[in-house]
Parts: sequence; structure tokens; C-alpha cells
Amino acid sequence: MSPRIQPAKAIEQARLFFNADVAAIAIALSLAILIRFNILPRIGW
Amino acid sequence: MTPVFPSIFLTESDFCNHCRERLPANPERTTTDIVATSSIPQPATERSTRAQRLFTLLPGTALLFAIGIAGKGLESLGSIIPRFPHIEYVLWAIILGLVLSNFFVIPQVFRPGIATYELWLKLGIVLVAAKFVLKDVLHIGGMSLLLVFIELILSLSVMTLLGKLFKLPPKLTSLLAIGSSICGVTAIMAAQGAIEPDEEDTSTAIAAILTLGALALFTFPAIGHALHMGQQSYGIWTGLAVDNTAEATVTGAIYGEKAGQFAILSKTARSAFIGFVVLGYAVYWASQGKAHRVENKALFLWQKFPKFILGFVAISILATAGFFTQPQLNSLGNLSKWAFLPAFAGVGLRTQLKDLVNQGWRPILVGVLGEIFIALITLGMVFFAYHGAAQ
Repeated sequence: MSPRIQPAKAIEQARLFFNADVAAIAIALSLAILIRFNILPRIGW
Repeated sequence: MTPVFPSIFLTESDFCNHCRERLPANPERTTTDIVATSSIPQPATERSTRAQRLFTLLPGTALLFAIGIAGKGLESLGSIIPRFPHIEYVLWAIILGLVLSNFFVIPQVFRPGIATYELWLKLGIVLVAAKFVLKDVLHIGGMSLLLVFIELILSLSVMTLLGKLFKLPPKLTSLLAIGSSICGVTAIMAAQGAIEPDEEDTSTAIAAILTLGALALFTFPAIGHALHMGQQSYGIWTGLAVDNTAEATVTGAIYGEKAGQFAILSKTARSAFIGFVVLGYAVYWASQGKAHRVENKALFLWQKFPKFILGFVAISILATAGFFTQPQLNSLGNLSKWAFLPAFAGVGLRTQLKDLVNQGWRPILVGVLGEIFIALITLGMVFFAYHGAAQ
């Protein structure tokens, strides 16, 4: 078996230099606070 | 063997940054890796370097949003223009991403930003918690935990058996078992640092799991419709059976908004087990003298734990405590949909069809057989547990 996919290549597109978990939590809580205090009044879809 | 690409400081495609851990210095690491992972303070240049890196994310991020918004626009066209295919924006975003990445060469300048789809996915998941009061999370999540536990035992056993049957390398079998039982690529990456497999095994396992995830995008909704499954039962099934969180979320969302939310909930419960399973394999391979010992098991579990789940629970607690009004909860729910748009586009963009067929047939056969088994078992469990659930 000789897979042609190299590990570095396989994850190349999925590499971030920051912690996505922490960033996601920080952004979510910030947005939640902005919405709670009506600084972001209404988000539509 | 020391891994060439440490899972440390990498945030990969689906869930978790929990695969971050410190590994011994590796002479084979590339300059980029070293720059990206260095913990040595560089006060003079660090701030500007970080700003430059953030800047490099812009083109790819813009591409993700452009594809997602185009998908939303195409969905709208379906209800305006007669004979225009009426397809959900989720599927449009994936199709557009697939076409772009497989039929065109995406310039290098977009690649760093495309990786941010993981951030948008996690942001969407944390925000969608506003749609769940804590009671629902505990009830459905608790039920999912029980199902996950059964699914884990069965899938780990079956994948191990199939690996032996098809004479796969033992560590490749371990990686496939871990990837298919918990959360796909993330679990494999987490295990990669712990059980120290060959690079080939890691890359093969990742490719096999991505292949199976791509197949799930199209087969699960068809099966769900054929069986007339409700939104809740389908979503729970998807979260239990589809490996990668990104693919699980998309596979659920293709079926319906509610299904997507339930898929996230059950997938999150499943991901919470990652540390325990990887620790089990790490201890096993260390006992065989083929991996380093895990000295601090509690720290190991914390490192592997998907931290964004804490954000999900925090938003759910705030929603339950009445911190938000109903219109504000709706706004948070809509924000989660906006966050999912680029994430869905990223799933399409990262799926390389040619890579999916360019791997050994045995791992993919083991993966397919194992996944079919897991899908059937979890389908049976979901029907048993959620029969007659809300549509």
C-alpha cells in the first residue's frame, strides 16, 4: 500500500495559526453581548 | 517514530483543538511549522507577523463567504425562476465549493483563509446553542451520550476486527477505529501525537475518513427521505454516524434546519469522548512499547477535550437563564446560520475528488464496511430511542 496523499498536504488546507476553539468562543460571547445590549439590534436571515 | 507534523498548534478541519500538545523538537519540521508554532517570544516582530498572518486570511475568508452567499442566492432563485433547481443553500454552497476546488486551480493566496472554515463552523455551533435550553441539552445530550457509548464500543470493535481481517497495519487500524468512532480527522490528529503511527498510516486514515464523509453528504439525506425520518431522529442519527463534525453538520443541515441542530447536539456529545478513546489507545500502544507513556492522564484528557463545547454550554445556560429576549435569541440563531455559510463552502472546497480515489483500496474498504455497520447500528438505535420524535 502506498498512499499518494502526504500528511502535510492532507492537512495543508486545514491549518490555522490560532486556536479556533478559543476564537469561536470569544467571538460568540462578544456577539451575544452586543445583541443583548442592543448594540446589534437585529440580525436577519 | 516522531511525527513530522505535530498535531500541536494545528487546528484542523472539524472539531477540536484538543489535539494540541507539546511534542519533542523535530528536525524534520518545516520552517513554516517552526515559525507557526514557536513559543519563543519575539517582541519586536511578533505583533507585525501576527497582523500579516491575519491579513493573509482575508482572501480565502472572502472566498468562503462569497461561495456561501452565492449558494443562498441560488436557493432564492429557485423560488423565483421557474424550472430553476430548487436546492437548499447548504447543498449549493457545497456544490459550488466542490466545482471550484476540483475543476479549477485555487490560487495559493486563498488557501490560508479557506482554513478558517473551521472557525466559522465552531462559531456557528456555539451560537446555535441559543436554540437549545439547557434542559434540552441535558435531555437530548444525555440520551445521545448513552447512544454514543454503545456506538463507540461497537464501532471500535468492528473496525478493529475488519482491520485484522483485511490485514491492515495495526496502527492504521487503530487510527481508522478512532476516526470512525469519534470525530474523524480531529480524532486521528489527536491520536497521531499519542500513538505515533507512520505518516503513511495517518495520511491514509485521514483520506479514508474524508472519503467516507463525502459519501455521507449524499447518501444519508437520501436514506433519511426514503425512511421518512423526522428532523430530530435524522439529526441524531447523523451526529452519531457521520465522522467529521463539518460533514455531520452539513449532512444534517441538508435535511433541514432542525435536523442540522440535532446533528450538532449529538455530534458534540460524541466528540466529548475523544480524550478517553485516544487515551485508551495511547496506553495500549505504550504497553506494547510502541509509543511514549502518558504521564499525566488528567492533563491529557483536558488537552484532547474539544473546548468549544464549553462555549456551546455557556450560550445555552445564558439562553436558559433568560439573559436574552426571544427576538435576541432569534438574532443569535440567525447569526449561527451566517457563520455556517462559509463553513459549508469550506467543506466543498476541501473535498478533493481525485485524492479520494488515489488511496489504497483496503483501508477504504474497511472504512466503508465499518461505516455501513455503524450507520445501520446507529439507525436502529435511533429508531428505538426516538421513534415518534417531533418531526
